Amino acid sequence: MTDGQSSPTNDAQIVVSGLTKQYKNVLAVNNLSFTVEPGRVTGFLGPNGAGKTTTLRMLLNLVTPTAGTATIGGRRYPDLADPLRHVGAVLEASSAHKGRTGVNHLRVISAAAGLPRQRADEALALVGLTPAAKRKFKGYSLGMKQRLGIAAAMLGDPRVLILDEPANGLDPEGIRWMRGFLKGLAAEGRTVLVSSHLLSEMQLLADDVVIIAAGQLVRQGTVDQVIGSMAQGVRVRVRTPQADALTAALAQGPATVEADGQGALLIAGVDAPTVGRAALTAGVELHELTTERPDLERVFLELTAGKAGIR
Amino acid sequence: MSNLVRAELLKIRTTSTWWWLAIGAFLSIALAFAFNAWLASETLSGGGEEFGYTGDAASAPAQAANLYTSGQYLGLMFVMLIGILMVTNEFFHQTATTTFLATPRRTSVIVSKLIAASLLGFAFWLVTTVIDLAAGAVFLSLNDYGTQLGEWEVHRALLLNLMAYAIWTVLGVGIGTLITNQLGAVITASVLYLIGTQVVGLLFLLLSNLLDNMAVMKWQVVWPAAASQIMITPGENEMLPAWWVGALVLVGYAVVSGVAGILITRRRDIS
Repeated sequence: MTDGQSSPTNDAQIVVSGLTKQYKNVLAVNNLSFTVEPGRVTGFLGPNGAGKTTTLRMLLNLVTPTAGTATIGGRRYPDLADPLRHVGAVLEASSAHKGRTGVNHLRVISAAAGLPRQRADEALALVGLTPAAKRKFKGYSLGMKQRLGIAAAMLGDPRVLILDEPANGLDPEGIRWMRGFLKGLAAEGRTVLVSSHLLSEMQLLADDVVIIAAGQLVRQGTVDQVIGSMAQGVRVRVRTPQADALTAALAQGPATVEADGQGALLIAGVDAPTVGRAALTAGVELHELTTERPDLERVFLELTAGKAGIR
Repeated sequence: MSNLVRAELLKIRTTSTWWWLAIGAFLSIALAFAFNAWLASETLSGGGEEFGYTGDAASAPAQAANLYTSGQYLGLMFVMLIGILMVTNEFFHQTATTTFLATPRRTSVIVSKLIAASLLGFAFWLVTTVIDLAAGAVFLSLNDYGTQLGEWEVHRALLLNLMAYAIWTVLGVGIGTLITNQLGAVITASVLYLIGTQVVGLLFLLLSNLLDNMAVMKWQVVWPAAASQIMITPGENEMLPAWWVGALVLVGYAVVSGVAGILITRRRDIS
């Protein structure tokens, strides 16, 4: 295998550049630029109303940008020759006709995209929906609807997957299935862009994150980079009935101590063994001693603080 | 493009809506045929003046033409509704996203809907006409009026009927793109079709009385349903413009609403 992978990177790379959407009263997306690489799961994060859905819809030519461009493998979505063979998308506010069966829903899409008819059955099997193939869409549970959406996205066996809040409505089993499914797709070298506000799930799923707030980019990088970029690193949480004594004992060192407002102390600048040793030396009784690493949720909340909400 | 037309026809086939509309069309054929058959037998046995049928309109070919196009009035509304639903369903059931993801070239999507709609209009016309021809020929023969199937007036009525079916389905697609709210589009179009024609006729009658000018009546052709009626009405009438004026107006509406639908759909944000 010397050839065949001529340009695996550019072929499936998503590039958003200066993307802007001005609605009548709201600047939904403001000069947004980021890239999404193949072979990785990229989490697209932001508070409600941050412009995630608008951005994804501009990327897919469903919403016309006021300015800027969004390309997939170097091309705008409408310029792709066979869009469903390049890009699969699962979007919110996307559904099927209530009176149409799941398999017929997929057959309609296959017909429009010029895909072979049996792709509908294959895609249903891929998401485990074969038993419900001939049931009407209105009889589907929320989780089944999400799976049907993913089946529709996989019809053309695309290199790029774009999913808007795919975990919505899934039960824990469904979420675990989705995680494995998306990680598997990325491992095959596909580009996977997933928007979500379930941050703990994202920490398990994503390799990279793009965080936006109020329509603007806040941070982009690998999950570790983004978490590491926070000023507040590792902290030690201590619970003790002798808070003043411990604070005094740590006063000589590099530690900074503050109350967390819930009866515990948060100590930065030293590690847990140091705190434990200082407590032992000073004869301070400890009820809790834990190392707190910043997680995606904390980083996210600090990065987007004050930018969330209705605009 | 053929893929897209196939997809549009598949969309229609895989839901039950068209069945209901087909049943509605069939019932309206049955009712209209019974009424028209009674009318024909009364008229052809010399009682036409009671219904305002004199001269050419009371002739056997004219009555046969009327009989062979039974069910047209409601049938046209049903195909218009199918055309409307072909578009509004996409928004009502939120399948527009999926549709435009599969085909980002939106003009192609609307054009394929227009083609599929015309094919469907043709199918409705074909089935309606076959039923009418079979039942009508039997009825006329049994009553010794002859089938009249060789008459140009009958051919003309059937062909114009075909044109009406195709145009009204296309018009429905146009209306659907202009009013994407399903209930809004269906109710507006049905009311305008069923009641609007009478109201418009009345308004023009009042206007012509007011202006003391009967020629004003001819202008009711600007109303699509009136244009449709004028197009299929045989013979000369000083109150009405020629049939081809009605045809042109109707085609005009279909073209304008189709083009407007394409332009609007191209610009619309799907969210």
